[in-house]
Amino acid sequence: MNNPDLLVLGGGPAGLCGAIEAAREGLRVLVVDEGISPGGQLVKQTHKFFGNENFYASTRGMEIAGKLLKELSLYPQVILACESSVLAVYPDGVPVLDRRSDSTYLYNPTRLLVATGASEKFLQFDNNDLPGVYGAGAVQTLMNQFGILPGKSVLMIGSGNIGLIVSYQLDQAGVEVKAILEASSRIGGYRVHADKVKRLGIPVLLNHTILKAIGEKSVNGALITALDERWRPVPGTEREMVIDTVCIAVGLTPSAELVAQAGGQLKYIPELGGYVPLHDSDMRTTIDRVFVAGDVSGIEEATTAMIEGRIAGLNIVKDIKGKCNETRLEELKETLSAFRSGPTSSKIRSGLEKMDLVTQPARYVEGEVNRSGEFRGKLRPIIECFEAIPCNPCETSCPVGAITVGENINDVPVIDYSRCTGCGVCATKCPGLAIFMYQEREDGMALVGIPYEFLPVPEKGQSVYATGRSGEVLCTARVDRVTRSANKTNIVYLTVPEELGRDVRHIHVTNREESSLICRCEEITVEQVKKAIREGYVDFEELRRYLRVSMGPCGGRTCRLNTLMILSGETGVPVEKLSPGTLRPPAIPVSFGAIERNAKVTHE
Amino acid sequence: MKNKACVTIIGGGVVGSATAYYLAKNGLTDVVLLERDYLSSGSTGRCGGGIRQQWSERMNVRLAMRSVEHFKNFEREVGLNIEYFQGGYLLLAYTEEEEALFKKNVAMQQEEGLDVVLLSREETVRKFPFMNLEGLKLSAYCPSDGHANPHLTTFGYARAAEKMGVNVLTHTDAKRVLVENGKIRTVVTDRGEIETGIVVNAAGGYSHQAGEMVGLNLPTESYRHQIFVTEPLEHILDPLVISFVNNFYIRQTGSGNFIMGQGDRDELPGLEITPTWKFLKEMSDKMPRFFPFLKDVRILRHWAGLYNMSPDAQPIIDRSNEIEDFYFAIGFSGHGFMLAPAVGEALAEWIVFGEPRSVDISNLSLQRFERGFTREKNVV
Amino acid sequence: MERIVEHPLLKFERGEKIVFYFEDVQMQAYEGETIAAALHANGVRMLRITPKGSRPQGLFCAIGKCSSCLMEVDGKANVRTCITPVKEGMRVRTQKGRGEKSE
Ligand SMILES: Cc1cc2nc3c(=O)[nH]c(=O)nc-3n(C[C@H](O)[C@H](O)[C@H](O)COP(=O)(O)OP(=O)(O)OC[C@H]3O[C@@H](n4cnc5c(N)ncnc54)[C@H](O)[C@@H]3O)c2cc1C
Ligand SMILES: Cc1cc2nc3c(=O)[nH]c(=O)nc-3n(C[C@H](O)[C@H](O)[C@H](O)COP(=O)(O)OP(=O)(O)OC[C@H]3O[C@@H](n4cnc5c(N)ncnc54)[C@H](O)[C@@H]3O)c2cc1C
Ligand code: SF4
Ligand code: SF4
Ligand code: FES
Repeated sequence: MNNPDLLVLGGGPAGLCGAIEAAREGLRVLVVDEGISPGGQLVKQTHKFFGNENFYASTRGMEIAGKLLKELSLYPQVILACESSVLAVYPDGVPVLDRRSDSTYLYNPTRLLVATGASEKFLQFDNNDLPGVYGAGAVQTLMNQFGILPGKSVLMIGSGNIGLIVSYQLDQAGVEVKAILEASSRIGGYRVHADKVKRLGIPVLLNHTILKAIGEKSVNGALITALDERWRPVPGTEREMVIDTVCIAVGLTPSAELVAQAGGQLKYIPELGGYVPLHDSDMRTTIDRVFVAGDVSGIEEATTAMIEGRIAGLNIVKDIKGKCNETRLEELKETLSAFRSGPTSSKIRSGLEKMDLVTQPARYVEGEVNRSGEFRGKLRPIIECFEAIPCNPCETSCPVGAITVGENINDVPVIDYSRCTGCGVCATKCPGLAIFMYQEREDGMALVGIPYEFLPVPEKGQSVYATGRSGEVLCTARVDRVTRSANKTNIVYLTVPEELGRDVRHIHVTNREESSLICRCEEITVEQVKKAIREGYVDFEELRRYLRVSMGPCGGRTCRLNTLMILSGETGVPVEKLSPGTLRPPAIPVSFGAIERNAKVTHE
Repeated sequence: MKNKACVTIIGGGVVGSATAYYLAKNGLTDVVLLERDYLSSGSTGRCGGGIRQQWSERMNVRLAMRSVEHFKNFEREVGLNIEYFQGGYLLLAYTEEEEALFKKNVAMQQEEGLDVVLLSREETVRKFPFMNLEGLKLSAYCPSDGHANPHLTTFGYARAAEKMGVNVLTHTDAKRVLVENGKIRTVVTDRGEIETGIVVNAAGGYSHQAGEMVGLNLPTESYRHQIFVTEPLEHILDPLVISFVNNFYIRQTGSGNFIMGQGDRDELPGLEITPTWKFLKEMSDKMPRFFPFLKDVRILRHWAGLYNMSPDAQPIIDRSNEIEDFYFAIGFSGHGFMLAPAVGEALAEWIVFGEPRSVDISNLSLQRFERGFTREKNVV
Repeated sequence: MERIVEHPLLKFERGEKIVFYFEDVQMQAYEGETIAAALHANGVRMLRITPKGSRPQGLFCAIGKCSSCLMEVDGKANVRTCITPVKEGMRVRTQKGRGEKSE
């Protein structure tokens, strides 16, 4: 099969579902995956999945993979090849490296479905490259795929869903998890996952981070510290923990380089995990023949990955055969949209909106923001007070009577923007710090006023990290002005890109460890990067070439995003305004010998 | 942004940056350097970084030798270590034609004072035992040739020029040039206008387009050239090795990576620089034959850039007869990096003193195409 | 670092028992395991020493993306051991610095 109708890159849930839909309609499909066995993230997941019953909720991840593979095996015209890496998407074809025979073959498919999933984010601390410091995925691979323990006692960094789930799995395998560290003041993952872990007696240390991995040739301890509200280490709180493994679970970022190589446009959308390929609700990228599905199109869940895969598959059928089961397509789109309508999906929704995807917004955000939207360009408060609570200082403080809570103090406030003068008094009075000032500007930026009760108060012109509702860093921003208030609730006004205006809700200044590595291939430290920026290398590409950061064998997979964050922090330019540089082929280093040898991939 | 400047240079590659540097060094600091992307984003940042003095045309030999003087002194003079390494160039002759040509060239080059020698097949094998030199007739070896890092060279020139007062504007695209009665008035960019009397076209692959901005039809067009780099290995290869008939060049960088490329006779002119599988495949089939140890070495990154070509594959360094004070240094084919120091110096002298002083570049005039010309033969 | 014998949910179907060598010391592995996994099961975590700062590095991403597990395998340098299956009789060494050119 030199020219399959569909070439699927990645055999995770998204890729498999896309392949199934296409195969059902008789298309000739080739699925390639670089893993030793297909299934992507699913095969490492031993826990029961959440989500939609129709999409295998409450089934364990690895079993879902089995079901999908069984379904796919019904179609004889499908080839599924493992240990096969897609090297690049060139104008003259898609070369695939078969690692088993160490040879390559060039395919020219009619349609391409990129379902390459995500890769892990890296974290800076001293000795972050010491053996025994693993990404969460590596721990899962060792433990759940090979049945080998990564160590005896583990320090987990990050309390998102992955950090929580992997901690649980470690405990299941008999490994002690000493603690889960979380830099922000609340647990990032779902409550239910956290409760599960807490039930095991694993402490989650909020406002804590790791400063250093200790050990000569491999980890035998870690230095940790408490952080203050602005994520700075609190002096005197450092302490050593005796552990032999550090597991980093600080999030995933889409593996979108192949889409970029195909010519597809990427956009930096922090809510979706980083640089994501722009796509429409049919999962078509900005390149006609190329589709995406799953985590590569934005970090989300297996359920949505599967639905997206099916949507992409149906559209590919429609492209090639001229028609597809439209009813089913519509149903899938509705299911997807319904799945995302809950409060915990608000991040995904706002991320997808930036792509101009039609999403079904949750009620509670809609009401407020839209009303405020009619007064675009006017400086005005955004009230994020949705729970019925007995409170009304906003109403009573407004000098022009623009806010009404009404007779029942439990009612939520309603604002009349035509009356509001934008004085900001209400924002300083709200005990819930639930009122933010907001104004769109003409240059695509927005002014966001944040009630701020910490010291020191930042100064005009200073660059700070703008963070979102869960403390996640969204971008860096300059302080436009600070209005001081007698009651100590100052309002810090920031300029941020308008797309982020609705999400920026706090600020902080991180203190990164200067001697920690940012680029493990080329051994480049954070301090070297900062120094070069001060010398005037303020463009990512210039920086890269000057220092060789992200020029190593990993192709910038571990350090690109972090370098951009530092660059943004030092220059005050938001990450989305920085050029991320080119993602050059091949996606994985390949030998001369393998290119010279020609062989098609073999069936699983 | 500065809205007035004596000289505006279009193009922040090595040629534009070197010109800015030498203008400032000669006292002319009221200069704006325009770069639509980042410094070295054009051909410069994509090139092999080779610095060779072995040319078939005397003029190229002289320019290159002058440049080598500058490369040698770069760190002291300009203030940045550019990983300059004089590991030599080894040119391989496989046919009788090549053998004759090499002999003739080496004689001419020696006349110019170049430290180049001819090596027999046996001598070459002895010197470079790790290469498969089957079928080799002889080689030409010049130890003072070498290579440097093109990004750092460009950054070095631009930063030093900035320190002397030149205004370097990256992410600024020159869109139009307003001309009145044959005189340049204004350069219009996407970020504002610059009132200026003198414009230097150092737009590399876009030199033809930059010429069109003042209504000139400059005889240059661009061709895609691809190149790739392998994972780093311990250092073994000093010289940059070229074979013209086998159509390849290869060198090892300071960090240990091998960089190599070839020309593609099937390329059509254009501005497309997406790399192709065809190139990777052809190189992988070919290179391990000459360097057997490469077989298991992995390729890390692959990209392409533009060769800006004139009709004789030699640069055009001149000023326009029709548009007053419109200078151009263009059409460098595959050797603009190595010539940039001497070219930048000469061009700056021309602008400041009314004539190039350090080297004679009269043979590189635009008029030569009206007279008839010989094509540079030593090109990949 | 040891192999999981009993797990509440998982059953590990291991392949044939084989032997390989790390720094000339004989070690046991199962067919189907990656080199890095087999080394971990034998308590080896330091896989390479970096060229510039001589920093020890080990398994990090385990999916062939980060280059932290490069080792010398059967005389070949720069092998990503996290995605390369271990084979009977294989000779594996810590990679020090950049790979030497292989013979
Ligand atoms: C610890 C953890 C717990 C989770 N729990 C849940 C849960 O409870 N419920 C839920 O719904 N979701 C959960 N998820 C999320 C879910 O697993 C992912 O969203 C989902 O797997 C994404 O599917 P995908 O197909 O897009 O990507 P993946 O599953 O990541 O698959 C991508 C595949 O592409 C392959 N690939 C990548 N690049 C190439 C290349 N160049 N050539 C060839 N192949 C390539 C990879 O090897 C991989 O097999 C969890 C994730 C993790 C990490
Ligand atoms: C694959 C390859 C290998 C090579 N190997 C070698 C080698 O080993 N040795 C050697 O000496 N040479 C080599 N070359 C040739 C060398 O790269 C070029 O000749 C040289 O870099 C030309 O420099 P330049 O400054 O003229 O052009 P460029 O580096 O292309 O600079 C021109 C700049 O102008 C900018 N620009 C264009 N139009 C505008 C506008 N309207 N407004 C603003 N900015 C604009 C572009 O963005 C670009 O950055 C190689 C070239 C390639 C492609
Ligand atoms: S900003 Fe001022 S006018 Fe507007 S609602 Fe608040 S207090 Fe009232
Ligand atoms: S004062 Fe704040 S918390 Fe109270 S009702 Fe108004 S907005 Fe809500
Ligand atoms: S551990 Fe990352 S490439 Fe092997």
